[in-house]
Amino acid sequence: MSDSQMSLAMGHGAMIEESPYGIESKKLVMWLFIIADAATFGALLFGYGYLRAGSPNWTRPFTFAPTIINGIVMTFVLLTSSLTMLGAVGAAKAGQREATGRWLGATIGLGVVFAALHLREWFKMFAEGWSPSANPEGGSVLFGASFFGITGLHLLHVIGGVVAMTVVALMFKRGRLTPAHIETTGLYWHFVDLVWMFVFPLVYLMNAR
Amino acid sequence: MTATASPAAPGMKLYVGVWLGLLVIVAAEVALTYGGLSEGSLLAALLVLAVIEAAIALMYFMHLRYERRLLFWSLIPALVFVLLMLNHVWRDAARMIILSPHGP
Repeated sequence: MSDSQMSLAMGHGAMIEESPYGIESKKLVMWLFIIADAATFGALLFGYGYLRAGSPNWTRPFTFAPTIINGIVMTFVLLTSSLTMLGAVGAAKAGQREATGRWLGATIGLGVVFAALHLREWFKMFAEGWSPSANPEGGSVLFGASFFGITGLHLLHVIGGVVAMTVVALMFKRGRLTPAHIETTGLYWHFVDLVWMFVFPLVYLMNAR
Repeated sequence: MTATASPAAPGMKLYVGVWLGLLVIVAAEVALTYGGLSEGSLLAALLVLAVIEAAIALMYFMHLRYERRLLFWSLIPALVFVLLMLNHVWRDAARMIILSPHGP
């Protein structure tokens, strides 16, 4: 039941106006959060650009194999997870509860694969001597600080999204949530994918050897 | 009056087409990276492609194309303004290069 419908049921119809955006409050709030988070990631990426432009000894350590190939696979996984999320939203709106669960399961699985690939890459870099404050190639340590900072915040969003999708999937299956909740969660997941569309070229491809 | 439902969404066929288009853009980004461009040209090209990708994802995957125009105009121009204002940092980055102990 939408906010307006609930207010009408409680007898407050005369005080409720239609949303000028034509969407439910939870969807509008998710959009507002996305815009704020986009500004946050934008600031981080500009900060990375600033540090890079101001560092004459910037390192470009990423070889095509395995790092860029890993990045390509991660991008493919995340883009595909957005597609499966759209499948979940479509199935939910069509009233297909079981299909929604399968699509959400696929999206969650792909999110877990992305996180696993990312963590594997991180641990490989740690083993080579990279850290937020160390550069084994002798160049600027700011490379590690910006790389792990940006990819770490994105990874946190991915993990948070996986947890949220799992909760939403279980509650939807039990009939406690509506298709609008699936759609709102989907907006967040697409945003996580959208951020990666900037992180991959700016942080990985621009630091390729 | 109740909040209206979103207009009918496109089907999976369109979404798969958009997904394939995004993969093509990613492939183009990787190809450009190893295409022998200067750093500045590569950055410009990657930024343009990333913005195109983001716009496609925003409009189709996030359904913004099918929502009321007021939603688009309330959200996107403010974000674009913030991101454009962040460009003020570049002059200071140029100053940092000159002051760096590693030399310009």
